[in-house]
Amino acid sequence: MMVFHGFDYRRGTTAMHRIDPRSKMVYLILFTALTILFYNPFVLLLLLASSLPIVIAGKIYPRWSMSMKGSLFFIFFIFIFNFIAFIWGDFWGGALSIGTVYNAVVAAITMSIRFTALISIFSTFFLTTSPEDLTQSMVQLKIPYDYALTFNMAMRFVPTLGREAQYIIDAQKSRGLEMEKGNFVTRIKNYIPVLIPLIISSFRRAELVADAMESRAFGASKKRCSLYVLKISTKDYAFILITVASFLLILSLKLIFNIQ
Amino acid sequence: MIDIRDVSYSYSQGVHALDHVSLKIGEGELVAILGENGAGKTTLVKHLNGLLKPSAGSVVVSGLDSKSTTVATMAKKVGLVFQNPDHQLFAETVEKELAFALVNFGMSAEEISKKVEWSLSEFELAQYRVRSPFMLSGGERKRLALASVLCYDPEILILDEPTTGQDNRQKTRLASLLVTLNTKGKTVLVVTHDMEFVADFIPRVVVMSKGKLIADGPAGEVLTRKDLLESASLLPPQLAELSWALGLEKPSIHLGTVLSEAFSIFGGRHQ
Repeated sequence: MMVFHGFDYRRGTTAMHRIDPRSKMVYLILFTALTILFYNPFVLLLLLASSLPIVIAGKIYPRWSMSMKGSLFFIFFIFIFNFIAFIWGDFWGGALSIGTVYNAVVAAITMSIRFTALISIFSTFFLTTSPEDLTQSMVQLKIPYDYALTFNMAMRFVPTLGREAQYIIDAQKSRGLEMEKGNFVTRIKNYIPVLIPLIISSFRRAELVADAMESRAFGASKKRCSLYVLKISTKDYAFILITVASFLLILSLKLIFNIQ
Repeated sequence: MIDIRDVSYSYSQGVHALDHVSLKIGEGELVAILGENGAGKTTLVKHLNGLLKPSAGSVVVSGLDSKSTTVATMAKKVGLVFQNPDHQLFAETVEKELAFALVNFGMSAEEISKKVEWSLSEFELAQYRVRSPFMLSGGERKRLALASVLCYDPEILILDEPTTGQDNRQKTRLASLLVTLNTKGKTVLVVTHDMEFVADFIPRVVVMSKGKLIADGPAGEVLTRKDLLESASLLPPQLAELSWALGLEKPSIHLGTVLSEAFSIFGGRHQ
């Protein structure tokens, strides 16, 4: 469950933390689009590397590396599934050649890098953006407050859910549940005693949160105003400029040099 | 039976949850583990069935070294009940919930039904046997969680905050059950903040603070040390406070002792 640490925001004072969430959204959206547009493993590696300056400038390496380590499990699965999917037809058709296997390995590696790059880009965004600022920026982008808040809370509860999953796993292991035992199907079944309490307690919590919010007069006034209003500063223009310039540079690889 | 040797543990975030803790608990002892929030009590008990492995030092329980033993093997000997019942209840019915551990440990159908029946009656849950665990009240869920571990009859029983949300009647029932199990030879550890519960029923007390073990001894002795309780943010038992207020030479947590001490002082003065 370490991957959740990569989305667990901690207060920080670096330049990256102080940049407006809307500027960072520009980075998030443009670079996510690039990771989906490109299929070349080297370009995808470049996109993965694009998040490194933010990791360094934002001093978020410890948590960022936890989310990367935590996603290794998923990356492994993505690799295996892509590999199998790629060779499936040829394998049963009896036409499996070294060339196909090579292509399958390359495709599986590419998909794994793509996923890693996405995790890294999203993780840098959420690790340097406070949930309150994010909600505020969404409101200033004219997204209705209810939706902005729902999104914020969903993000806010991801690490809580991760912690809770760990408590449940501990409790069930203490009653003799062996998660790693058995074949593939049994292993999935082993998750039932973990998932049911997790889902039920999430519902319970949602209800508690709703009650607590209503007790504090949530929704009592139709027109909300905010104590703090986000402003785009020179720093933001500089950040957006660098982001858009590198976006265009990378995009030109596709448009001019025809790298897919 | 339980031998914790110089154990240190830190979570990946670099917090020292346990700091060179050593503790020996013999067979058939009844011990309370006390300490402020975040003192490391739960971290310590998670070492006893191997959920956590020590970063340094060793944990040996019934001859099994936790480093080289699976949780499932250790859990059969060490029953660990966590604080929040909602973190473990999942089955369709109370009966199935009770049978979960028994099935995991590969017991026979006959044995399972015998043990389920015992726990249903012992924990006053028989009227709910076919009800969903989620329909029970908070206190009942807590009891079911306890029952779902006690049912497989582990040699060592560890309860993390078993008295929260229980009324006095259920607390007394729990205490008498623990005492009964203890007299039958079970080793019982209770992690708790409930000082009166400890003062009334538990002979040996271990106090933790900031990952360190700061006191270990008979309850009557440990729970009357004012400075110690203060440094571990613990509320003293009422009788200990009374002893201090009366200025007794030998503060105690037993009513009889406090009374006779008090009489010997004040009775003497009146004569």
